Amino acid sequence: MARFIGKRLALGLITLFLLSIFVFFGSQVLPGDVGRRVLGPFATPGAVKALNHQLGTDRSVISQYLSWIGGFLHGDLGKSVTGQSVSGIVGPALLKSAALALLAFIIVVPLAIAGGVFAALHEGRLSDRFISVGGLSATSVPDFVWAVLLILVFALWIGVLPATAQAPPGAGFFTQVEYLILPALCLVFVLFGYIARMARAGTIEALDADYSRTALIKGLPYRSVVFKHVLRNSLLPTIAVVATQVGYLIGGLVAIELVFNYQGIGQALFRAAQQKDFPVLESAVLIVGIVYLVATLLADIAYSVLNPRIRYGSET
Amino acid sequence: MSSDARKQVESIRGRVDEVENHLIDELRAGRINRREFVRRGSVLGMSLSTLGVIVAGCARPDVAKVSPPQTKPPKPGGTIRAGIVAPAAAIDPIKISDEGGLAVLAMTGQFLVFSDRHLVLHPVIATSWTHNHDGSVWTFKIRRGVRFTDGTAMSAEDVAATFNRLADPKVGSNSLSTFAGVLSKGNTQALDPETVRFKLDAPNGNFPHIVSSDNYNAIILPRDYSGNWQSTFIGTGPWKLQNFTPEVGVTYVRNPHYWGPPAVADTSELKFYAQEQAAVLGLQGNQVDVLPHYSVAGGRALLTDPAIRTTQFHSAAYREIHLRCDKEPFTDKRVRQAMALLADRRGMVEGLLATKSDYGNDSPFAPIYPSTVKSVAQRQRDVAKAKELLSAAGKSGGFSVPVNTSNDFELPDLAQVLQDNVLVAGIRLNITVSDLGTYYGSSTFGTSPWLDSVVGITDYGHRGVPNVTLDATLTTKGPWNAAHFRNPTYDKLVASYIAALDLHAQRRYARQIQELLLDESPLIIPYFYYFLTGAHNNISGEYSTAMGQVDVSRAGAV
Repeated sequence: MARFIGKRLALGLITLFLLSIFVFFGSQVLPGDVGRRVLGPFATPGAVKALNHQLGTDRSVISQYLSWIGGFLHGDLGKSVTGQSVSGIVGPALLKSAALALLAFIIVVPLAIAGGVFAALHEGRLSDRFISVGGLSATSVPDFVWAVLLILVFALWIGVLPATAQAPPGAGFFTQVEYLILPALCLVFVLFGYIARMARAGTIEALDADYSRTALIKGLPYRSVVFKHVLRNSLLPTIAVVATQVGYLIGGLVAIELVFNYQGIGQALFRAAQQKDFPVLESAVLIVGIVYLVATLLADIAYSVLNPRIRYGSET
Repeated sequence: MSSDARKQVESIRGRVDEVENHLIDELRAGRINRREFVRRGSVLGMSLSTLGVIVAGCARPDVAKVSPPQTKPPKPGGTIRAGIVAPAAAIDPIKISDEGGLAVLAMTGQFLVFSDRHLVLHPVIATSWTHNHDGSVWTFKIRRGVRFTDGTAMSAEDVAATFNRLADPKVGSNSLSTFAGVLSKGNTQALDPETVRFKLDAPNGNFPHIVSSDNYNAIILPRDYSGNWQSTFIGTGPWKLQNFTPEVGVTYVRNPHYWGPPAVADTSELKFYAQEQAAVLGLQGNQVDVLPHYSVAGGRALLTDPAIRTTQFHSAAYREIHLRCDKEPFTDKRVRQAMALLADRRGMVEGLLATKSDYGNDSPFAPIYPSTVKSVAQRQRDVAKAKELLSAAGKSGGFSVPVNTSNDFELPDLAQVLQDNVLVAGIRLNITVSDLGTYYGSSTFGTSPWLDSVVGITDYGHRGVPNVTLDATLTTKGPWNAAHFRNPTYDKLVASYIAALDLHAQRRYARQIQELLLDESPLIIPYFYYFLTGAHNNISGEYSTAMGQVDVSRAGAV
C-alpha cells in the first residue's frame, strides 16, 4: 500500500512540476503586457514602461519563473497587480469554492447514488427512464444556463432566494448556506445525471454478477444481497467519478461563480487571466492542480481499499 | 427684460473681460441656448450665481424643456448600496484607468472642479478660477476649511503637489496623455494657502475641464502622499473608508471632517461584480440599490423592468471605425466616403442600442459639446451615391478588406452590422474579433492590431471636451491615429481650436474641422451612446456622470 501511495505521489509531483512550467510560460505568450493592461490602452509608453519596471515584469522570463517557483516552494506566492498578496486572494477564494463544492456534494452525491441504484433496481420501468433520461437532460444543459434560469425563477420571479452567492459581511452560517443554495442547485443539476448513470450501470453489472446470483440462489433475502454484495461493488466506479469532479468544482466553476458574483477560485482565475495578473493566475492554477491531485490520490486509495485487486495489481 | 435685470447684467458686464462679454452677446443674440451658455460660462470661471442672473436677464426661453424625474427626497439614515464592475487593478489614484477603479476613487476623493452630466463645471475644492488674456495661465482659488479624511488640513500646497505629481513623467501617471502639451511638471504653483496657478505649455481654452472630474486621476491628495491608497482611501469627500475587501467591495461611513453637508445615508457600500450581467442581476435581485452604469448590450432587461428607474443622459462616448488612409483601398478618399455613406446609422442605433444614442457625424464632435456646430449636414446612408463614388475610384466591383475589433460591449455586433451594410456595394469585410489585450497589443504603431489594422473598431470613453480625441486620434503625430490620417490643415485647425478661449472662435474652428473630416472621412463615428444608470424606484438622489463616477451622498430610500 505504501509503495502504491509513494508511486502515485511521485507521479503527482512530476505532474505539478510540468504544470508549473506550462502555466508560467503559457501565461507569458498571452498578448499585451501587464503594465499596459493595468494602465489601459491610452497610457503613454513611458508610464507603461515605468510600471512594468516597478512590477518586475520587464525581467527575463527565466528569472521571473525562478523567483516565482522559489517563492511558491517557500510559501510566498508574491503580490498581485492589484497590490494584494496572492495568498490573500487565492486562500479565501479557495475556501469559498470548497464551501460551495461541499454543499453541492452533500446534496448531489447521496441523491445521485440513490437515484442511480433505484433506477437500476427498476431497470426498464418508467421510474428508471425518468431518472436516466431526466438526469442526462439536466447534465447536458450548461451550468451557466441553469444559473440564469434558477436566478430568474427563484430570485426574480418568486423572490425566495438571493440572486447572488455572496452573503453580506458578517452573515451567520445559515444565511451563508441560503446564499449558496442556488449555485449549489446548479451543480446538482449538472452532476446528478453523470453520477446517477455511473451508479446505475455499476449496480446493474453487480446484480448480473455470479456472486449476486449465487447469493440469491442460496436463499439470502434480496435486500441483503443488494446492501451487502451489490452496493459495495457497484459504487467503485462511482467513487472514481465523484473524485474527478473535485477538479471541476474547485477551479472549474468560472461561469457559475461569475453569474452569481461569487468570489471563488474560478472567478479569481477568470479575472487574473483577463487582467494578466500572472502571480494570481499561476499560483491559483498550481494550487487547483494540487487539490485535484490530492483528490485523485484519495480516490485511488479509497478505490484500492474497496477493491484489493487494484492494490495487489500495483504491487506485482 | 425688466430694467432691474438689465442693470444687473450690465453691472456684471462691466466686471468681466472681453471673452465673457462675447459669450453674453452670443446668448442675447440667440446663437447659443441657456444650457450652452452656462456650460461655457462655467469653463471660463464665471460663478453659477452670476450665470443664473445673466440667464434670467437676457436669455430666450429654451423651446424644449425636459421635466425632472419625479422623485421624493430620500429619508436620512440607512445604507445606500451601489454595484460596479470590480476595479481591474490596484486602486491607485495615479495609475487607475478603468471605470470600476475611478468609481471607487470618487467616493472619498474630490476634484478641483466637478463636471456634471451637461458638462457644466461646478466648484468643489476650487471655489473660482480665472485666466490670463490668452488662456495660458489659469489661477484657481482654493476652498478654506477643507480637511482630508484623516483630519489633516488641505491647502493649495496639496493641490499643487497633486498636479505636479500627475505631470511628472517619472511617476508614470495615467494623466500624462491628457497633460501632454498642456501642463508640465513644476508648472503648478501654490501662490498662497488659497491660490494655485497653472502655467500651461500652450494656451488652452478648456483647461478647467482638464483638472475637473473629467480627468479621473486628478483627485486631490496630500502633498506627502507616497502610494498605497488602498490602505487609507484618503480624500476630502463626504465618505470615509470603513472596510475594504478586495474583489468583494467597500463600505463607507460619513466623513466627520467633511466640509460640505453630511451624507444622507449613515453608510454606503460599493459592491464589486466581475461582470456587467452579474451586476444587472444584482440590481434586479435587490442586492444593490443603484447601478451607476449599464450598457444596452449588457442590461437590456433593465430598460423594461418596472421595478427599475433608468436615468439616461447624453455622453461624448463613441465607437470609432477607422479607415487607414495610407493603405489600399482607402488611399482614395472617395472609397472612404463611400464606406461612410453605406453605414446605416439609424439601423445601428435602433438595433444595437435600442435608440439610446445620438447620431454621430464622423468626427469626435459629439452633440453634447457646446462647440459642436449642429448645422453641419448630418451624413445619411446613401447607397446610390456610395456606388457612384466607388465607380469613380475604379472599385465598382467592390473589394475585400479585413476588420479588427475587440469583444467589448456591442463592438462585434457593430462589425457585423457594418459588414451587412457595405455588402450591397460588393465590399466584403473579414472580421476578426479579439480580446482587449490582443486588440490593443502594446498600443504602439507596428505592434498593435488597433493601430495597424486597415479597418478597426475601437471604443472611446466620455470626455468633457474633445481636445484629446481631436488631437490624439487624428493629428499627424497623434499616438492613437489608427487611421494614419495626415493633414497639415487639420493639425493647424486643432491647435487653433484647443487654444481658442471664446465659444464663437471654438465653433468657427469646429465647423472647419467637422467639414474637413466629412470630406476626408478617415473615421466613421456612427453614434455617441447615452449613459444609462439604473436604480430601484424607491431610491432617489443618486447622481452618476458619464465618466462612471457616482455620488450617493445625497441618495437614500424615499
